[in-house]
Amino acid sequence: MTLLELKNISVHYGRIQAISDMSFSVEEGEIVSLIGANGAGKTTTMRTISGLLAPSAGSITFAGQDITRMKAHIRVVQGISQAPEGRGIFPGMTVEENLDMGSYGRKDRTKVAEDLERVFDLFPRLKERIKQFGGTMSGGEQQMLAIGRALMSNPKLLLLDEPSMGLAPQFIRQIFKIVTEINNQGTTVLLVEQNANQALARAHRAFVLETGSITHRGTGKELLANPAVKEAYLGVG
Amino acid sequence: MSTTDGPTLIPDDASAQEIADREARMRRRKGWFPGLSDKWNALPRQTQWLILIVVVVIAYLLPILNPPLITTEPGNNWQIALAQMSVYALVAVGLNVVVGYAGLLDLGYVAFFALGSYTAAMFTSPDSPYVHIPYLWTLPLAMAVAMFFGVVLGVPTLRLRGDYLAIVTLGFGEIVRILATIIPAMKGQVGFQNVGHPPGTDSSGQTIFQNSNGTPWYWLTLTIIILVLLAAGNLERSRVGRAWIAIREDEDAAEIMGVPTFKYKVWAFAIGASVGGLSGALFAGQVGFVNNQKFDIATSILFVAAVVMGGTGNKVGAILGGALVAYIPLRFTAIAEFKYLIFGAALVVIMIFRPGGLLPARQSLLAYGRLAYNKLKGALGDIPASGKVVLEPGKGADK
Repeated sequence: MTLLELKNISVHYGRIQAISDMSFSVEEGEIVSLIGANGAGKTTTMRTISGLLAPSAGSITFAGQDITRMKAHIRVVQGISQAPEGRGIFPGMTVEENLDMGSYGRKDRTKVAEDLERVFDLFPRLKERIKQFGGTMSGGEQQMLAIGRALMSNPKLLLLDEPSMGLAPQFIRQIFKIVTEINNQGTTVLLVEQNANQALARAHRAFVLETGSITHRGTGKELLANPAVKEAYLGVG
Repeated sequence: MSTTDGPTLIPDDASAQEIADREARMRRRKGWFPGLSDKWNALPRQTQWLILIVVVVIAYLLPILNPPLITTEPGNNWQIALAQMSVYALVAVGLNVVVGYAGLLDLGYVAFFALGSYTAAMFTSPDSPYVHIPYLWTLPLAMAVAMFFGVVLGVPTLRLRGDYLAIVTLGFGEIVRILATIIPAMKGQVGFQNVGHPPGTDSSGQTIFQNSNGTPWYWLTLTIIILVLLAAGNLERSRVGRAWIAIREDEDAAEIMGVPTFKYKVWAFAIGASVGGLSGALFAGQVGFVNNQKFDIATSILFVAAVVMGGTGNKVGAILGGALVAYIPLRFTAIAEFKYLIFGAALVVIMIFRPGGLLPARQSLLAYGRLAYNKLKGALGDIPASGKVVLEPGKGADK
């Protein structure tokens, strides 16, 4: 079943077009990766899906419902949750308070407690640091917190914007492992990455984004083997 | 390997964490009153209430005590000075909701103060041709009028952020002042004399709330401040308060957590505006005269200075800042002419040595109160004395 579908989406910043006529879809249960260089429009795509940006043309459908004009905070309740680029945690709140903010739109308190346990199972480190201020944690921990916080809304679709940005290699591997784990637990994941190797290896399907449009599409393995993708993004060729 | 900019190597994670922990602890210790709020929060609830009651009683007794050295006499009447200080403190409490809690820089707050003053004046002064109502009724009316205009200003402008919002609110402050000048009904510089006051006469038949007697006005305003503080405290701890903190920390992140950011920003604006209107009405009543000269931009900046000086986001700090801003030129009359110069210099000094203000807010405390604080203390106690934390990077993933 198609969970998310973008049809002919264009996004403008003022007069500058960041995304032109982009269409793709995400099936339920998948990990889908969007890879591309700086300025290709990856983050713009994410912000458009989460509702922080409004598209100038096209439509977005989520779980059979047109959400093109829906406000971002309502999309969260509908099941779209984002771990934003640069992590976007609340620096002056503790880990616990950050996670609590993640469940802000929810009223089912018992389910929230279960989700908190799930997040602590995925990221035991967060439990160790539960009283620490978000702003004083290391980059890797902040990323864990951002993903954990996004999971606290119990999303159908998890948007991850560059989870590997600025992290040490062992953390990158760990984060990607956890992404697969989250997916195995039944959450659909849309991933945006510059780290093409990991992103393609983990993805069921992937798209290559160049200056605001999709230039290649296929399964993760196909794109890993594609000579053009190899040369441009994997440093082989 | 990837050709794009690869992962940045960070220092060994354990050592980075250790440094962060140490810095966090050091930050908590800094300040002029080291550990004051820590000590306060460690006290049992009954002791806190006892201290609070003593402070409140002293505050009520201030006009009678007229403490030497602190008093503004002989330069200025001490009771009237107290009345003005209390009005400024109330203004700061209101503006603190906007600037401190929600993080919206409002440079036109004086507009709401002016709206409150004019509401009180136009419905009570004999100079006004309109309907006259008892003075006390103008207090809620002033709040409603200011709140209405807060929403009117907020709905279009709160889509803007940061500097842009500051510029637009600055403009709004000027608009109200200029309208007061050019609209004939608002009487420009001539203004309104004999603004009303609460009813009541003492045993000798004298009016209690005279313009020349600051004490009853001070008591009235102080009572209102306490009520507003109780309300603000409840708001702080509510879902609304948490939403405001989240908006202040990162608006986009708050939105994608499911916080209706726009709605809560308008709420902050409206609530702040209503307190501004209330303090304006009290000011008009105490002074007894309203014209267009009192509501300039400098006053607006002074209000912001009061909040920043006291400690953005801390309501007790706001009271202190507001009272100080009014007090300094009244106490030190010799330097009153240079008050803006002195406030400017004081702000610079405070920002260097105490960037959080005189009584800085601990952000998490704002959001969750004592509970979070006690938990935090417990957690810090759990960290081994050496500061070393055992980390196992792979632990989470392999589960």
